[in-house]
Amino acid sequence: MHLKASSYQPGSDGDGVTLAGTTTSRVVTTQGVEIKLANTVSTAVRPAIWAALTAIGLLLMAQPVAALVNTGTDDEARLPYWEIVEPGVSIRLVQRLPDQTRGFFQARGFSVADAELIAQSCVFQTVFRNLSSASKPVKIEYDLNAWVIQAAGAKRGMKTREVWKKIWTGRRAPRAAQLAFEWGLLPTRQAYGPGDYNWGMSVFGLAPGTEFTLDVVWQQNGERRMARLPGVRCAPDIHPLPDSP
Amino acid sequence: MTPPRRQFLRCAGLSLWFALGVTHAAGNDAAQTLQPLAKPFVAPDFTLPDDDGNTHRLSDYRGKVVVLNFWATWCPPCRYEMPSMERAHKKVQGENIVLLAVNVGESEDKVFEFTGQYPVSFQLLLDTDGTVIRKYPVIGLPTTFVIDPRGVVTHRAIGGREWDDEQLLGQLRKLLTH
Repeated sequence: MHLKASSYQPGSDGDGVTLAGTTTSRVVTTQGVEIKLANTVSTAVRPAIWAALTAIGLLLMAQPVAALVNTGTDDEARLPYWEIVEPGVSIRLVQRLPDQTRGFFQARGFSVADAELIAQSCVFQTVFRNLSSASKPVKIEYDLNAWVIQAAGAKRGMKTREVWKKIWTGRRAPRAAQLAFEWGLLPTRQAYGPGDYNWGMSVFGLAPGTEFTLDVVWQQNGERRMARLPGVRCAPDIHPLPDSP
Repeated sequence: MTPPRRQFLRCAGLSLWFALGVTHAAGNDAAQTLQPLAKPFVAPDFTLPDDDGNTHRLSDYRGKVVVLNFWATWCPPCRYEMPSMERAHKKVQGENIVLLAVNVGESEDKVFEFTGQYPVSFQLLLDTDGTVIRKYPVIGLPTTFVIDPRGVVTHRAIGGREWDDEQLLGQLRKLLTH
């Protein structure tokens, strides 16, 4: 399901350019070219020009210039996802049920209490991709410390590896468990070349079922970019039963 | 239908095919790329046991191209790229290109269980306490480094790849000729 886009450059205020706005400007541009062609090009050549314009339009649609926010059900996890798609980059957050998180971390050496602490902290599987090609390389960098979570009128930051490391040291979590936790989380900072990506858990420090807005920030070829994901929801603490046969 | 209209539809159809082809090609191009490092560095040496209890020292592979992969069984993209690593391993046998996959933080039993589902014939090394991964600039799993025959890390891939892709194998073979 396609929702709406909310993407802006630094210095703009509000939500900035919307998808609808971008589409309109493209149409205006196209119409401008059309009017000019109608006055100057013969009828025989016109279909080829239309076809060329169609090709350009299709290419533009395939490589969106404004942030698209998609949501739906992830094929593999069969849980809701929220996804930003921009030229050269995609970021997908897939819900993780607290029960999945409990099981995962207990199996890696965390105590029941420690696994419960993570499970109750709103965990998403996150996939961050550099979609650019080697022929048109784009450098993508991010720092989770720049991402902003807004829930119930309050703003907060992400709970990164560094934050958790202090917690696990204080709680004397086993070393093997800490290692699994560290490598299981989305890196706090990363730089991607063409074809690079990471999968990792991201932790939002919210109660199960909480709805929030996430401002995702990254650098694209050194330029700061931001997209807003509204209406993201932490997975509820439920225990789904297997599908009926 | 008038001839110009038919002509337009034919051209539009071709354009659609062209546009989809370009987009698809761009996607493939993006996925199978190894990033050359801006600052190549000498590969930190290490000795690790494999899943059969034999030990391997990285410097013993000097003179060969080494694909050094850091992975874990619970990491989905690590699992996804394993079959293509196995196919690549078979493709490059006898070419002085070796694959070493270093499991991070898991027991021999866990890795053994994994190979029941994903059988591989290249070396799986065990970095159970995470000492070796800390010697390399790894931020997330999987990360793979390519080490040239002189023992210098020249390329890196963050995330999985289709390792048997000919374009990617071409990048590895090129290092043998330098």
